[in-house]
Formats: sequence, structure tokens, C-alpha cells
Amino acid sequence: MNSRLGKRPLSLSTRVMTFVALAIGLSLFAIGYLVNSAVEHHFAEQDADELEVMTRAVDRALRKTSDGSSPLDEALSHAVSGHHGVYFQVWDKEKRLLYGPSTDDYLTPVGSFAPVSRIQVNNQYQWQAEGNNYRGVITQTQVGGFEYIIVAAIDMDAHLQFLKNFRRSLWLIMILAGTVTLLATWYGVHQGHAPLRGLSGTIREIQADRLHVRLEPDGVPRELQQLVTSFNDMIGRLEDSFVRLTHFSADIAHELRTPITNIVTQTQVVLGKSRSLDEYRELHYSNLEELDRLTKMVNDMLWLAQSEHGLLKPIREPLDMNQEVRELFEFFEALAEEKQIRLEIEGQAPRVMGDRAMLRRALSNLLSNALRHSPLGESVKIRLEQSDDGQVLLSVQNVGPEIPDEHQPRIFDRFYRVDPSRQRQREGAGLGLAIVKSIVEAHGGRIDVSSFHGATTFNIRLPQTTVGKV
Amino acid sequence: MRLLVVEDEIKTGDYLRQGLTEAGFMVTLARNGLDGHHLAMTETFDLLLLDVMLPDVDGWRIVQSIREAGRQTPVLFLTARDSIDDRVKGLELGADDYLVKPFAFAELLARVRTLLRRSSVPVITDQMRVADLILDLPRHRAMRAGRKINLSHKEFCLLELLVRRQGEVLPRSLIASQVWDMNFDSDTNVIDVAIRRLRAKIDDDFETKLIHTVRGMGYKLELDDEHE
Repeated sequence: MNSRLGKRPLSLSTRVMTFVALAIGLSLFAIGYLVNSAVEHHFAEQDADELEVMTRAVDRALRKTSDGSSPLDEALSHAVSGHHGVYFQVWDKEKRLLYGPSTDDYLTPVGSFAPVSRIQVNNQYQWQAEGNNYRGVITQTQVGGFEYIIVAAIDMDAHLQFLKNFRRSLWLIMILAGTVTLLATWYGVHQGHAPLRGLSGTIREIQADRLHVRLEPDGVPRELQQLVTSFNDMIGRLEDSFVRLTHFSADIAHELRTPITNIVTQTQVVLGKSRSLDEYRELHYSNLEELDRLTKMVNDMLWLAQSEHGLLKPIREPLDMNQEVRELFEFFEALAEEKQIRLEIEGQAPRVMGDRAMLRRALSNLLSNALRHSPLGESVKIRLEQSDDGQVLLSVQNVGPEIPDEHQPRIFDRFYRVDPSRQRQREGAGLGLAIVKSIVEAHGGRIDVSSFHGATTFNIRLPQTTVGKV
Repeated sequence: MRLLVVEDEIKTGDYLRQGLTEAGFMVTLARNGLDGHHLAMTETFDLLLLDVMLPDVDGWRIVQSIREAGRQTPVLFLTARDSIDDRVKGLELGADDYLVKPFAFAELLARVRTLLRRSSVPVITDQMRVADLILDLPRHRAMRAGRKINLSHKEFCLLELLVRRQGEVLPRSLIASQVWDMNFDSDTNVIDVAIRRLRAKIDDDFETKLIHTVRGMGYKLELDDEHE
């Protein structure tokens, strides 16, 4: 189970959801952080303003006392009236408290913090005393030759409480927004996959007998169009092979039926009444001929089945193709002379690593074809050459009726005949060229046919697995 | 010549026995691998014909056993399976030849005779004669009734094969293989044409015909033959 999980890639929904969750989380977190800092900064600025006002008021009061118009205590006691949650202290240079609430309650950090000359957001101090939080500033001032230290502080608890609530709301909003976004994404992804599920349903309905079904490329989102096109191509190829296979089975049945019918009918007719020994012998001969044909067909079909399963393994040896062709010519000499056809060899090819018996069989099939279709007195030519890319080219050419273009691609198919009416002469079951092709392909080569100007040429290209020059 | 046939298919076994007996061999037929194995190990035969696929002890096992026991009896495998691996395995285990079903009986007979000949000492001669036909082997010349006959190289090889194996029916595939080294089933009538041309030179001008067609099977060279 684990290993399977390990191999299978993450589901598409999981991927999308993970990315979206990360992105949403990060941006919400960033927004929250910025809002929170902005609010905190705002409070700090507000406090700074207030502290500045207070400090100035105290300073003004101190100046009043210095010209003797009012005593210190009285002047200072009215200095900051109208402000709430604030307090201030005035110290002298020797850190003696001159005015203000005692340090026991407020723990003013007059000793630990240095005085500042200008009150700003970033040079205020914060401290705690008696469970309350304070923010304050320490400044120095000179009045009438005396140096005073003024401490002004604000109770921050209200602010802090507000910030706490504010943060809680912020979290709630973020979580809510995140959840809603994720749910929406999930729904979107799910909906986005709907065309895929639709495709899958359509594909599931394609059975062997419904291979003509094609998916509609315009009915799916653009991203799936390529998939649909590829799938249609695949089904097309499948349908093609399937049709061929079906035809092949039908062809086999047809090819087998004819000789079997002959055997059965003849045997039944002969056995219908008592006959002479010669007639029985004749029946057997006739049956033998049909059975020979069946045997050859079965053997050829087995050969093709093996080639189809890649079981045709050439036993390779270096072959001098010119020599092979000359020996084949010796074999066909008698037949050619009877038809007054000249056998000609042209060109020169390097040695080929190939299976002697197989290649002889292939060339023999082509030669016997060529001889069969060549008119009296003409010539059959085999050309050997080495192509520029090092392949060995073997072409077998005969003068004779052209093979119409529409038949050319299918001529190597099993049981395929250019002229269906010309079945069952001496020329076998129509497997000859299929066997040639299987042999050439087992050698990693290719074969094609060209037919024009009253001549037909089969071209075999064998790859260069050569061993030196001839 | 004693032959052992091991074949579990009843009809095939019967016809092999009948055919080989009528061809002049003494045939023992075993219908399963166990009997075949026992007979091959205890009695002496000149040739074994083994079906590869047997229900109990298969042909490969039998060959292995007799080779391990040091017997050099030639073995011809009959099999319905035609793959190169099978063929190689059979030959590695010590089989001498391999015939794939369906095969022509004439082909089987020819192979059997080849194997039996291989195991006997070949007779080396310079000259062969059948009736008034004389073959001068070193010089590749043929004479009939004192008249020199002009034969091409391959025609002489064909005639030599027929003479060497006179009285035997030679299937077309065997002729193609022995004379032209074409070891495949050809659907051409090359052999028929070649034989016809040879006949024109050997037989046409003479009263006594030597080359005979055996319908559905092949050709043979024989002095007196009752059927035509």
C-alpha cells in the first residue's frame, strides 16, 4: 500500500488545493500583519502627540514658576488638566522627585532610560507597574538656570485591550476568508474536472464493436483538446488494426473454406457409389493437392504469427548479396528461360549481416512474383546498391502491368490481392509479400513498392550491419 | 532397418507405422513416452522418431536419456511447435533432425533415409549407372546409351541426386534444398520446370523412361516403374 502510494503522483485536487492554501494563507497572514502594525503605529503616533502636548504644558508651567508668578505645586497641578489616564513627574538634575505621584506606584524608569530631545514614535518607552502598562517619554528642560527632567506617561491598557480584540477579530476574519476561499477552490477544481469525468464516461462506453466512436474536440475545454485529439488518433489506429484483424480472420476462414469444401465434396461424391481403384486413387491425389495447399497456408500463417510476436529471430551471418542473388538466379534459371525472361543483376552492395535462408526466401518470393507478372521476352532486374546513409538497397524490378496506386499500401497485407478474381491459381494464398515484409522487418529493414511507366519495383532497404566492403 | 516411433496421436502413429513399414522398415510403435523411453533404452534401433510433446515423458527427456546412456542412435524429432528455441534445444540435446508438423510423408521418408545413410559408411565412387545412363562424377558428365548429354552444372547436380537416391520419392522441397540450397517452401514451380528440362535431355529420346513423377509427392528415378 505504502509503496503504491509512493509511486502514484498526488491527485490533481490535492495539488491545486495545497498551492491555493499556501498562497491564501501567506497573503492573509501578510495582510493581517500589515493591518496590525498599522494600527499599532497609529496608536503610537497618537500617544506621541499627546505626550508632546503634556510635556509642553509642563514645560510652560515650569517657566511660569521661574518668574515667581505662581508656586511650583500650584502651577504644575493645573498643567495637564483635561487629559485622562495620564500622569507626569518633574525631577531635578540629581534625580530627586520634585513633583508628581510617587515612583512606588508608577516605577518611572527615570534612571534606566535616557532623556530624549525630540519626542518621536520610536523613542518612547514602555513599562509595567501595578499590572498597568505605560508608555512614556523623558525629556530635559532648562528653566531659569535649573535643569528639570520631565517624565510624561500614558496608561496604555485601553489601547492594548483594543488591539487584543482587534487581533482576535483579524484572526477570525482571516480563518473565515481562508476557509471560504479553499472551499470555493475545491468546488472550482471539482467543477473543472467535470469535463474529464465526462470524457472518462464516454471513453468507458467505447467497446470493441463501437470503435467508430470519436470524442468531440470542440466540446471540451481548450486544455483537453490535445488529449481528445490524441485519443481520437489512438482509437483510429486501433480501429484500423481491429478492422484488419477482423478481415484477416474472415480471410483465413475464406481461404480455408475453399480447399476444405473441395475435399469434403469430392470425397462425399466419390464415396457415394462404388468406384474403380483408379477413381479412388484420383480422389486421394486430388485431396492431397488440397491438403498440401492447406499445409502451406498453415505454415505460412504460423510464420507470420511468429513474426508478429517478434519470434522471428534471424540467425545472422555476413552475406554477399551479389552472390546470393546469383544463386537465386541459378534456382530460377529454368523457369525464366521457359518464359524467355532474362534475369539481370546490376550494381554492387557491401556485405549484409542477415539470415541466409530468410533473405533467400524473401528474394525468391519477389523473384517468383516478378517472373509471374513479367510478359514473355522481357527482363527481370535486381539492383544492388549502397545508399548514402549506408543502407543496402535491393530492388527487384519487372516490366508488366502496373499496380494501381490505391492497392500499393495494402499489397503487403496478408491475403491481399490486387485482383480478387484472380484467386487460387498456382500463386498461393496471397501471403507471399506479407512474408517478404516480415523477413525484411525482422532484419530491421523496410520495403516498399513503386509502380509506374509500365514497370513494378520492390525496394528493400536493409540497415548497415555490414562487416567491411566486399 | 529397425525404427522406433514414439507418437501419442493415434492416427498419426498408425499412419507413420503403416507408411514406414510399407517403405521397407521394421517399425515399433510406442504410444506414450514411458513405453518409448523403455524401448529406446532396452532395445537396439537404427533410428528413433520422437514426438516432442508427449503427455508423460517428452521427446527431449528420451533423447537426453539415451545420449547419457552413450547410445548414438540417430534421432528425428516430430513436433507441432516451430520455434527456433525449440529447434535449438532439440539439436543441443542430441537430436539429428527436426520436422515440423504438418509435414509431407515423402519429406519424412527422405529425411529418415538421409539419417540412416549418414550413420552408415558412404560409398565413394567415381561412376554411377542406372540402366544405360552413366554418370561420370569427377568430370560432371552424363552419358546415355553411349551418347554424351550436355547438362548444365545444376542439371547435373539434380540428376546426380536422383541417381544417388534412385527408387526414393524426392519431394520438391528436398530437391530445392539439396541442389540449390534453397531451404524454404517455395510456391513456385521451379523444380517442375527443372525436372521437365532434365527429362527432355535424359528421357525424351529414349524408350525407357527413368525419371518419374509421383503425383502429390515428388519425383523419383527408377528403372522399372509400373505406375505412371
